[in-house]
Amino acid sequence: MLPYLIRRLLIGLLTLILITFVIYALIRHMPGSPLDADPAMMDPSKMPSKADVDRMSAVYGLDKPWHEAYYHWLKNTVALDFGNSFSQKKPVSELIAQRIGPTLKLSLTSLLLTYLLAIPLGLVSTVRSGKADERVMSFFLYMLYSFPSFVAALFLQLLFAVKFSGTWLELPLLGDRSSNFDDMGSLEQVWDQMRHMILPVTCFTYGSLAYYCRFVRANMEEVIRQDYIRTARAKGLGPARILIHHAFRNTLIPFVTLMGLTLPGLLSGAIILEQIFNWPGMGQLFFFSIVSRDYPTIMALTLMFSILTLLGQLFADIMYAFVDPRIKFS
Amino acid sequence: MGDDRPDKPAPSIGFWRQAWRRFRRRRLSMLATYFIVFLSLVAIFSPMIAGTKPIVCKYKGSLYFPCMGYFNRSWENPIFQKDRFRRIYPRNLKKKDPDSWAIWPLVYQDPYRPVRDNEWEGGKGNPYGAEGGPSRQNLFGTFKTGFDIFASMIHGTRIALLVGFVSTGIAGLIGITVGAIAGYMGGKTDIVLSRIIEVVMCIPSLVLILALLAVIERPSIWHMMAVLGLTGWTGIARLTRGEFLRLRESEFVAAARSLGAGRARIIFRHILPNALAPVMVPIAFGIAAAILIEAGLSLLGFGAPPPNPSWGTVLNSGKETLQSGYWWQLVFPGIAIFLTVLAYNLIGEGIQEATDPRLADPGH
Repeated sequence: MLPYLIRRLLIGLLTLILITFVIYALIRHMPGSPLDADPAMMDPSKMPSKADVDRMSAVYGLDKPWHEAYYHWLKNTVALDFGNSFSQKKPVSELIAQRIGPTLKLSLTSLLLTYLLAIPLGLVSTVRSGKADERVMSFFLYMLYSFPSFVAALFLQLLFAVKFSGTWLELPLLGDRSSNFDDMGSLEQVWDQMRHMILPVTCFTYGSLAYYCRFVRANMEEVIRQDYIRTARAKGLGPARILIHHAFRNTLIPFVTLMGLTLPGLLSGAIILEQIFNWPGMGQLFFFSIVSRDYPTIMALTLMFSILTLLGQLFADIMYAFVDPRIKFS
Repeated sequence: MGDDRPDKPAPSIGFWRQAWRRFRRRRLSMLATYFIVFLSLVAIFSPMIAGTKPIVCKYKGSLYFPCMGYFNRSWENPIFQKDRFRRIYPRNLKKKDPDSWAIWPLVYQDPYRPVRDNEWEGGKGNPYGAEGGPSRQNLFGTFKTGFDIFASMIHGTRIALLVGFVSTGIAGLIGITVGAIAGYMGGKTDIVLSRIIEVVMCIPSLVLILALLAVIERPSIWHMMAVLGLTGWTGIARLTRGEFLRLRESEFVAAARSLGAGRARIIFRHILPNALAPVMVPIAFGIAAAILIEAGLSLLGFGAPPPNPSWGTVLNSGKETLQSGYWWQLVFPGIAIFLTVLAYNLIGEGIQEATDPRLADPGH
């Protein structure tokens, strides 16, 4: 186990270096530099002098060729210094810390809802397999699964924020809080945040809900045909006990691996959805940092997502062997 | 097939025939296939469905096909430019040649300009803004500039299908090649190639796409297809690699090798056809994903540049006017994208079940 872990971690480290190298090369070759992409710089009165530009270039390593600058970045990163954001003039780590809350608020709520709904729905559809109600439900879930989340987001916004505006069903269009948030009482604040979350959480959840339902169902279909299920039934156990205790528990293996693979998604947010809802999360930060050529932010975020993706895969592989003793590390 | 004698066993039907037979049995997948065929027809005949240029017209004694100009600007006959039609055909044809006749597209609307008053005798111009809801004249309503949405979407079908086919085609080509080489060669080549696959896989795809698009200074729709192809091949490569790893140890490969077949011949003639079935599944899903990403990029402002009609840009204009409640700018492109993605997903699933050897018909 230990040699396996060490080898995986070493390979992972190599992969990380390759990824950051590729991304660094790419962003340094984008036209425009952070020093001229900042709109504030366009203002002639705020136009930095030549000396200023040179000084900033030196500080950010923009005067060096990109491979040297990459080495510079790598050295700082190993010392856990991610640098300062160009456009926001703040340490990148501070920026990320600000954004992580709103993103987690959406992704954790959505994950919880998905699990709470998908498992019972998946079990029900296994029990009712082939019956009319199950066919209708499966068809509906398949439709949901194929429905693009950004289209759903726009439809919901149109419905709840525009068509229902003025009625009790009205929901806020954008952002994670109202503009008069600071004047509210604490109870009102909670209510306000919840109202802002409803539409984004719905859009985050329904697709994965449909996917997980089908996933649970597919795994259950396989398990339910096993001999030990027939044995349990022959023993005279009740259907609920067989379903949950004997069948479902054995479908947990693929479930656990799926959890590992969703790990990066929890923190990365969703660029398009966050942009549509103007949600101050990680996806939006990423989008802005690319548009404004904010190299340190792009690099820090790429590094973070890559680490999470690799860790998620490692976690999935380890858990796989952990819950299924037949699998050996090699 | 004709000389089946009773003492000879009937020839077994081929794998693809059998798969096709099983695919046809899935009603929804077939329906989805018909839908894509229908969309392809719409794309091919888009200038004849919606346009303001005649399909065929007789003008000053010769026959012309001005509608071809929708496929390519330079295919529009230069005589109409010389005679100063200014892209308004109905009025000018009659005025400049009273004997002329023309066959018109089904819907007289144009994706590149709004129809104005009096293009026909007494014809009304397109409404715009809040007036521009769906009507007899504008089936899907108009943009706030008065452009017709139905025409934009009919012509946008070309881009939607092209984006799917071209980008997935590129992805398939790269993925199958890389996967085949990695799987067949094994050893160090495999280690290096697998690492490359893993690296590309770990980078969030939208980030890679945005970064690549930013490197190109003025991205066109073709650039976008290339970028989508360059970023979307990893899944296909992994699957192909797995199939090749499995198949290269099989007897028929050993037989081919002992007969003296070269490496390329074994890879392309012997293994690839056998590895293709599972690879087609991610290709079908990949087309759906490409269409989704194109529309999503349009929403971020990175879509097809403005004069190009695409479903994504229609949706994006709907997003911008959302607060005015112009629902027709969202609902029609949204449904079109949904149905197309659904169709490709159904086709992908159909292929998956039809080519799964575990589900093969017994007895063959």
